[in-house]
Amino acid sequence: MKTNAKKLKRNLFIASFIIPTFLFFCVFTIYPVIQALQKSFYDWSGMSENSEFIGFDNFVEIFKDPIILRAIGNDYFLVVGKVIGIMILATFFAVALTRFKLRSAGFFRAIFFIPNVISVVVIGVLWNFIYNPQIGFLNAFLSLFTEKKVDITWLGFPQHTIWMLLPPTIWAGIGFYMILMIAAIVNIPASYYEAANIDGAGQWSQFRHITMPLIWEQIKVSVVNIVITTLNGSFVIVQLMTNGGQPDNTTQVMGSYLYRMAFQQYHFGYGAAIGVMILIVSLITTFILQRVMRQEAIEMS
Amino acid sequence: MTIKNPLAKLLVWIILAIWTVAVIYPLLWTLLDALKNNEQFFLNAPWALPKFPLLWSNFSYVWSKYNFGTYFMNSIIVTVGSTLLGMILSAMTAYILARYEFRGNKILYTIYISALMIPFALALIPLFFLLNDLHLINTWLGLILVYAALNLPFGIFLLIGFYKSLPKEIEEAAIIDGTSHYGTFFRVMLPLSQPGLITVMITNMLNNWNEYFLGVVLTNEPTKYTLPIGLAVMQAEMQYRVEWGPLFAGLLITTLPTLIVYMIYQRQIASGITAGAVK
Repeated sequence: MKTNAKKLKRNLFIASFIIPTFLFFCVFTIYPVIQALQKSFYDWSGMSENSEFIGFDNFVEIFKDPIILRAIGNDYFLVVGKVIGIMILATFFAVALTRFKLRSAGFFRAIFFIPNVISVVVIGVLWNFIYNPQIGFLNAFLSLFTEKKVDITWLGFPQHTIWMLLPPTIWAGIGFYMILMIAAIVNIPASYYEAANIDGAGQWSQFRHITMPLIWEQIKVSVVNIVITTLNGSFVIVQLMTNGGQPDNTTQVMGSYLYRMAFQQYHFGYGAAIGVMILIVSLITTFILQRVMRQEAIEMS
Repeated sequence: MTIKNPLAKLLVWIILAIWTVAVIYPLLWTLLDALKNNEQFFLNAPWALPKFPLLWSNFSYVWSKYNFGTYFMNSIIVTVGSTLLGMILSAMTAYILARYEFRGNKILYTIYISALMIPFALALIPLFFLLNDLHLINTWLGLILVYAALNLPFGIFLLIGFYKSLPKEIEEAAIIDGTSHYGTFFRVMLPLSQPGLITVMITNMLNNWNEYFLGVVLTNEPTKYTLPIGLAVMQAEMQYRVEWGPLFAGLLITTLPTLIVYMIYQRQIASGITAGAVK
């Protein structure tokens, strides 16, 4: 009898601690996600009376929509650019601030993380100012080296504007991944490096044969994380720096197109389908990446 | 190991110095530009120092004329509310999932962890209609609830790791002393998990203070904007009305609180990120 009462008490305690949170989570995360999946099969303008089941029509539409294809291409462009830019710099900084035993390592580490605590809106506005044709820093800086004043509208070239979105996003992302790399490097036993030193292995070969293979897991995690955050979050920087995909939809990404379709043109069903596309694209990409990078790890060791 | 080759050493130092400038420069010049008038923007190089008298009035101007005072208040309320709610809920769930065996434990864990992978853009449209139905559009409560939910998976993930690292004997001792389950959690475990809770608090705080994507959809009344939304609106207005100095003052008002929090809690932030990731 006594143990039963005890058990009841324990179960009540468990229930009282997890059920409120789970219900809350169901209402504000799981339910909206399921709704989005469901509404992607509807022609839906926002008023519930106007919603009509149309099967896969939204998705068929997506594959015929040149803007969404461009948007997916842009998303991939940003993913690849960010992965390359961030991972090279973050790994370099992490190695420099750990393996090279600099006295001011702590200082650099603290400074390099600062962009990660700044709102992406602030970053967008700041970089708009750097690119500004009249009063911007970039033109003024380049003018120092030329006779004529440089007057380039950096965000105005349809075919290349997407390139201009890479520097701010890389600038903003490095600190976080640098900290991850530092943690991974610090975890490598010092004896590995000592042994390599005795064998006369140089700096570069230590990096290739000890550091790289042992932080590969962390690199994998970081790359996947960059893919997810980029596909999910590039919307904001596009919204702020190129006015939601301008010029002429050439900088459109899936997130900004979802926003435009749903909240500016009231095609909520189509918007939901774009949301599902973002999920599918990121799942497929992370899956492929994990396969490819596992291969890579085997070849390296 | 230190670098022996002086040339290589110099190169490393140069790269580190360049990146330091690349990070500090925009912030420093935000401050200096916040003290300029339009004339100074157009006539001088961007790196020119502001002329005397310094225009500190840009700050009060943006605070009242562009409603940054209101946005600031909204940001404080929404950030504090969502951070506290998120922290409490994730601590309770993480404690149970880390310390109690029961049916469904694994499933719950998997659900919360998979949510880390979901693109939130997917939930955006239904969330808008849900909040609309609940009459929570343009309310502090609406943003608080959504932001708290957004932060739950990461908080749970991080705190599970933390609770698992605490020795089991502590609870056993408390139970033997006759402390109830609730007493054990609130009087023993919660105080012990303070370092983990602080990490969750700071990451949530930074996320919620800086959030824009959901905020812009869930508010459309200027009186309820948070700082990032107000700032984005102000920048859009610059096409018609050029007031660069006040815009930079607004940038600084938005950024300063997070910079201060970062400077105070720098170590916890770094250790929190690594605790969450290297596992």
